[in-house]
Amino acid sequence: MSRPATSLAADPSPLALAARQHWDVIVIGTGMGGGMAGRRLAEHGLAVLFVEKGPLGYRSEVQRISEEPVDYGARQLLGFWPAPVEARMASGQTLRFFAPLGSGVGGSSVFYAAALEQPERHDLECVDGFPHPTGGWPVSYEAFLPYFRQAADALSVRGDADPLSDTGGPDLPAPPLTEAESKLFSDLRKGGLHPYRAHEAMRRLPGCEDCLGRKCPRPCKMDARSAGVEPALQTGNATLVANCSAEELIETAGRISQVRVRVDGNDYSLSATTVVLAAGALHSPRLLLGSCGVHPAGCANSSGWVGRGLMFHLTELIALWPRRGSPSVGATRCLSLRDFYTYRGNRLGLVQSMGVKADAGVIASHLKGMIDQSVLRRIPGIGKVATVCALVSAKLFGNATVLVGIMEDLPYFENRVMPHPEDPDSPLVEYRFSDELKRRRKVFRRLAHRKLGRFRTLLLSVRPTLNFGHASGTLRFGTDPSASVLDADCKAHDLANLYVTDASFLPTSMGVNPSLVIAANALRVADIIAAQRDVFLRRAI
Amino acid sequence: MRAEAQAVAVLTDVGGGLGEALASALARRGVLVAGIVSREEAGDGGPVLRIAAEVSDPTDVARAFDDIRTRLGTPTILVNTAEVYPHRDILDETPASFMATVATNLGGAFNCCHAVLPAMIEAGRGRIINVVTFADIAPAALASGYSVSKGALRILTRSLVADLGDRFPGIVINDWIPGTHAPRRNIPDGVEPRVAAEWGATLALMDAPMLNGLVFLRDSEYRQHLSFRRRLKDHVLGKSRAPVRLDDVR
Repeated sequence: MSRPATSLAADPSPLALAARQHWDVIVIGTGMGGGMAGRRLAEHGLAVLFVEKGPLGYRSEVQRISEEPVDYGARQLLGFWPAPVEARMASGQTLRFFAPLGSGVGGSSVFYAAALEQPERHDLECVDGFPHPTGGWPVSYEAFLPYFRQAADALSVRGDADPLSDTGGPDLPAPPLTEAESKLFSDLRKGGLHPYRAHEAMRRLPGCEDCLGRKCPRPCKMDARSAGVEPALQTGNATLVANCSAEELIETAGRISQVRVRVDGNDYSLSATTVVLAAGALHSPRLLLGSCGVHPAGCANSSGWVGRGLMFHLTELIALWPRRGSPSVGATRCLSLRDFYTYRGNRLGLVQSMGVKADAGVIASHLKGMIDQSVLRRIPGIGKVATVCALVSAKLFGNATVLVGIMEDLPYFENRVMPHPEDPDSPLVEYRFSDELKRRRKVFRRLAHRKLGRFRTLLLSVRPTLNFGHASGTLRFGTDPSASVLDADCKAHDLANLYVTDASFLPTSMGVNPSLVIAANALRVADIIAAQRDVFLRRAI
Repeated sequence: MRAEAQAVAVLTDVGGGLGEALASALARRGVLVAGIVSREEAGDGGPVLRIAAEVSDPTDVARAFDDIRTRLGTPTILVNTAEVYPHRDILDETPASFMATVATNLGGAFNCCHAVLPAMIEAGRGRIINVVTFADIAPAALASGYSVSKGALRILTRSLVADLGDRFPGIVINDWIPGTHAPRRNIPDGVEPRVAAEWGATLALMDAPMLNGLVFLRDSEYRQHLSFRRRLKDHVLGKSRAPVRLDDVR
């Protein structure tokens, strides 16, 4: 299996060189959490080593994220997370699939749609008449605000202010709307809704190729690669090793003394003053639970919460047809609205346009999903009838725009992720749809249908659908060491030098895409780590 | 090719017939053309830079491409025209003679792809055409080495697309069957090399990502026969399109 690391001194490989050096910080994972933390740490002058499981790849790649191919090596090559996820649902159903996760420089963010929306105050803390489900995050909304701004600045976020909020919009203006898009905005406004220009991390340089869902060779899409790892490397303080998988955190006397990594079947031990774990909310807890050299229950797990509190956003797809006489907008990412962000004490979420158009194929697959749920499924050939209906409706009404609702999920101890007992490389998820989530989903669907126009909308998501690209909460931060894994600084309660900056830290999943908050928190934690180093240096002098 | 970049084409055999005609056709359309030739044919032959190299020898190929890069610029188009066709009874083939044919027809194409790809990957753009035949579908007598190696070359095209197509769709790779029937003898209906060369030049200058992996026969896209049901379905779903023709796009 693994060869002993005795011949290291004679080994000239980059890994052997990295293993001979003691780093200030090892950052495990280069997605939004690791990339942005590593950048800030390198800018503070710390010697940073990025450990990335995926390949370095080529900057000219335009690969689109996909569930195909399934071969481990081929997925690794394309920058997709190579191992499948197994999800055991409380209903008894077991799903085995590839989550839409990246593995490579920039992690999943190189494939993302660059939606960087700011959460609202009630997402983080109790507000009047609206208690927070956890009693509030250990860090206040106020304390996060400067970091939201810094993250938006680092990622060149542009867009307009949400008219329903007083927090103001991004500093950079949104690019101009097409005529069809303007019509869509004015249509929705006439219906009493409050659409605004979605906040996106795209510089929209001339000749923009609208690279949503795929890697972009241009310096225009701002993600953890272009705004995190690349600027970090430019400081000269950071080093990156790719195709390097963190296998175990080794604990000695309350500290992570070594990180065991594997490259080409060889194991190496790396050491650093501080370790930042950012492998993603499915894989960071998997690594900790598999690191049981000192504690059988896993590293940093005295609370028993490692891997638990797992949340996903619920995805609600809504097809919205243009008003009679209005042009089809088709695929657009330009719009967000928060009219259903909350409703009568229910936490719902943001609605945004999804960048796909609902053509006949999309509608047909929705109809088939509906049929599968009903007695109609016994009629032979009914699927073809659905296809024909969809084709006819597309001809009559034009193509719809697809809006997506991001419904907040709440944390439950029984919803969790752990290493798969038969394949420790794969995460095993156990998940139950809570009754309150199903109830809130009904509220959201009724509201969306009514407010967007009963005769122009079609709710495309037949069953509750989890967004497996938005896992969070599996190493929650909190003030109580018996009910959280991390403290307010995102340092493990149990360890002196282990920090976490990916979506694992989130105690609640919020009603927005998590990228901006992950980036903001990563910058915050990097500042804390750098400040400690400064305190240490002052003492040493 | 993109307007700002000077197109530089490399043909792996310009010693006569189709290769020579294609080199002239590309040169007439403003492309800088280098051709690989055997030792005795080297030298400046009009508009085409003739470099001596043995395509089956990877070091020789690497040196030749370095030379081309220095003298013309970075190749943006590669047309693998080099082939040998020993008319030989399979009973007379030796392991060495059989593999020598493979080393030129298949190995030569791979060596040249290997030489041009790093710069194409860097640019995210490029054009590769493998000149092939249907010899793999129905091997003729006395053509074992040729049929096997040219069939494998068609597989190389598909493998290149499998590995590169999704990541680098701007590198467009095709098979082309020019229909000249060379170098077989006594076969009627062969296309004049000069005519085929015009189609080939057009094909080499087309670089839309949707062309990636298509097979061209003479002057148009060649497709596997589809069932009536499949064609009807494609038509209803709006997925059917006419085959790409090379004379439409001049």
